[in-house]
Amino acid sequence: MATIQVSEAEKVYIMHGVRDDLRVDGRGCEDYRHMEIETDVVSNTDGSAKVRLGLTDILVGIKAEIGRPRPMAPDEGYLEFFVDCSANATPEFEGRGGEELGMELSNSLYKVFNNRHSVDLRSLSICPGEHCWVLYVDVLLLQCDGNLFDAMSISIKAALFNTRIPRVHISEDEEGGKEIELSDDPYDCMRLNVENVPCIVTLSKIGHRHVVDATLQEKACSVASLLISVTHRGTVTCVRKLGGGSLDPDSIFEMTETGKRVGKILHGPLMELLQKEESLGKERMKVGFLA
Amino acid sequence: MPITEVSSSRQGSRGNGDVRPLFARCGLVSQAKGSAYLEAGNTKVICSVYGPRETERKDETDMKSGRLVCDFRLAPFSCPKRGAWIQSAEERDLSTGLAESMQPGVCLHRYPRAQIDVNVVVLENDGSVLAHAVTCASMALADAGIEMYDTVLGCALRQDGDRCLVDPDLAEEQGSVRESYGENQGRVAVALLPNLNQISGLQADGEMRADTLTAAVRMCVEGCHKLYPVVQQAILRAVKRKAPPPPEK
Amino acid sequence: MAAGFKTAEPQEYHRSFLKEKCRPDGRELGEFRPTTLNVGSINTANGSALVKIGNTTVICGIKAELAVPTADAPDKGYIVPNVDLPPLCSSRFRPGPPGEQAQVASQFIADIIDDTNIIKKEDLCIEKSKLCWVLYCDIMCLDYDGNLLDACIITLLAALKNAQLPKVTINKETDLPEVDTQHKRHLQINKHPVASSFAVFDDEVIIVDPTTEEESLATALITAVTDEDDQLCAFHKPGGSSLLAEKLQDCVSRAVTRNREINKLIDKVTESKKSSK
Repeated sequence: MATIQVSEAEKVYIMHGVRDDLRVDGRGCEDYRHMEIETDVVSNTDGSAKVRLGLTDILVGIKAEIGRPRPMAPDEGYLEFFVDCSANATPEFEGRGGEELGMELSNSLYKVFNNRHSVDLRSLSICPGEHCWVLYVDVLLLQCDGNLFDAMSISIKAALFNTRIPRVHISEDEEGGKEIELSDDPYDCMRLNVENVPCIVTLSKIGHRHVVDATLQEKACSVASLLISVTHRGTVTCVRKLGGGSLDPDSIFEMTETGKRVGKILHGPLMELLQKEESLGKERMKVGFLA
Repeated sequence: MPITEVSSSRQGSRGNGDVRPLFARCGLVSQAKGSAYLEAGNTKVICSVYGPRETERKDETDMKSGRLVCDFRLAPFSCPKRGAWIQSAEERDLSTGLAESMQPGVCLHRYPRAQIDVNVVVLENDGSVLAHAVTCASMALADAGIEMYDTVLGCALRQDGDRCLVDPDLAEEQGSVRESYGENQGRVAVALLPNLNQISGLQADGEMRADTLTAAVRMCVEGCHKLYPVVQQAILRAVKRKAPPPPEK
Repeated sequence: MAAGFKTAEPQEYHRSFLKEKCRPDGRELGEFRPTTLNVGSINTANGSALVKIGNTTVICGIKAELAVPTADAPDKGYIVPNVDLPPLCSSRFRPGPPGEQAQVASQFIADIIDDTNIIKKEDLCIEKSKLCWVLYCDIMCLDYDGNLLDACIITLLAALKNAQLPKVTINKETDLPEVDTQHKRHLQINKHPVASSFAVFDDEVIIVDPTTEEESLATALITAVTDEDDQLCAFHKPGGSSLLAEKLQDCVSRAVTRNREINKLIDKVTESKKSSK
């Protein structure tokens, strides 16, 4: 992942700041950076969102296609993830480095989102055992400035909220063969219930404390981080320890508590914002370079 | 002489918090620098360690410390359904999980510009493979004489409502996952450095309340400690074989 | 001192032993390493076996799956062998797709299965052009210390002997296969081929069951496969130094005795497994 070198003196400065709950950019330990969310930004997708967190910039596009359900879950649809680490974001992504990281990130996202706790996969079923909706979630990293996972999860949630899947009508002909017809009316569509979609909170251990939404400098001071995905009810759906170091059990428990608290707080304003943006309709102001 | 911990199967009288009887032995692969074989119930894992040798990747920015390269494979006949020969996404995931758990235990700064290869093959998968692979790999690393801060022990758990089953077999691990929509359903795997009391690896999936998760992690830590004497003995045996104690005068 | 000599002049080191008609590990020239066998230890496989020849360890797991017979052989099932040399077994193998040596070994095993008819493929057919068994024989090396082919054939044969297939019938009404796991049967083993490998040292000295080190120093490698009727099934000598025909004859006779020893071992282990149940 994108890393930078930090000198010992800088490290000490950052660590002392964290100890006193005052980070280099003026935030407290549990504060996120300034976040911008915009949905419906790419017109040729079924749902899209762009999130900017600090300087981290992420674009998510979702395409719905009809596919065959998996044999072990015939009455459910599923999600596929692809993370593109463009060399635009940081020179480290050039060549194989980006590919490997992309693979790792998409695997993690798959674990977090593609389960029935997060998305109502049954609502994606069209005809059990034969057809279902497959949501292809493409994540494009435009710029990396730390905390990729949190930003990705928020943009995926926003994009899922924005996703409109055309309604289908199944008609049977005389021989019992089934025909699937897509609705022509662009407003006759199905929406996903994103209430349960979790947000990822990554906590980085710095000194004896932990911070959310670490910048690259802070990341360089941290030995290990804990990725926690939290639902709006405060339940935890996925936990991963990341980074080369280890953590003592007590700080893991503390971090879980913090993650739950921060994650729960994150959901409310996010949903409010998404609903508000949608209610603006065509009048909303478009910002960013995709305007 | 098999080294067995006294406990019986869950279907019989294995308690929810009990781990399966463990058989562990070091030094089976003659070609490797170090190796280990581990059997927990029907789960069978073998691991070999090669190196330290010159790193293959020259583009690594950080040459001051060595690299730990983990390769995790499930033998094609190890699962109920036959697997393919090429590495699947699941195996890649397990490889990263293993590397993540092992790295904090190894003194990598002692091996600058070098890489240490850890190869794990699961011969039979009867649940908790990642956890046992971690334990097995740490025994193999010790057998290879790689400098380590501590042994790394792995323990897995399956949370099923209020029931939490330590060291689940495959049926327990996958059982009722399909039907379970309810709360507090999940799987947890923990890697522990027992002497330093540090957790080097943690993976949890499913949906759990924070307090359930905390309790589950505690249970796993306890499970790891139960395995420790067996692992310690196996390593000790290997060391004694390699360097027999001096004859008494 | 001896260790230094061994590393610096491996060829000379071995020569000095062979002059005295013995080998660095204490064996005679015509002596195999101790061979041990363990069957049926993998519960997830239909049949399995683990064989050790000295340090060389090879495991074979057999998985049976239902399939439709091919159009050109509607009354036959098929057997798919595969040999894997994972990075676990030796530092000479890298992760990734199977290397040359693994592919050569797989092909060698496939040829032996086809040529000797270990199992009649007609036996694997359940219903003509509708349903048959496919036996996936996955052979994995766990410790590579020479003489891979011998170990592979022994483990394959023992695993096939150990394998049990459930009874399958096709339901006349639904036309779907029904698997009856209560009634299992063993496979009918038609032929019992066993391989014996030899290494030629300095173009003339022949030693049996070479280790990796001996293999790498040898000027030629020979593998002879014979069956229980003392018939030669396959003979493999990929290049290397030329040999007199009588020397090859010696190899074949050694292979014939080896076949008896191994089949006795397989029978003994299979019997003890059955009686322990």
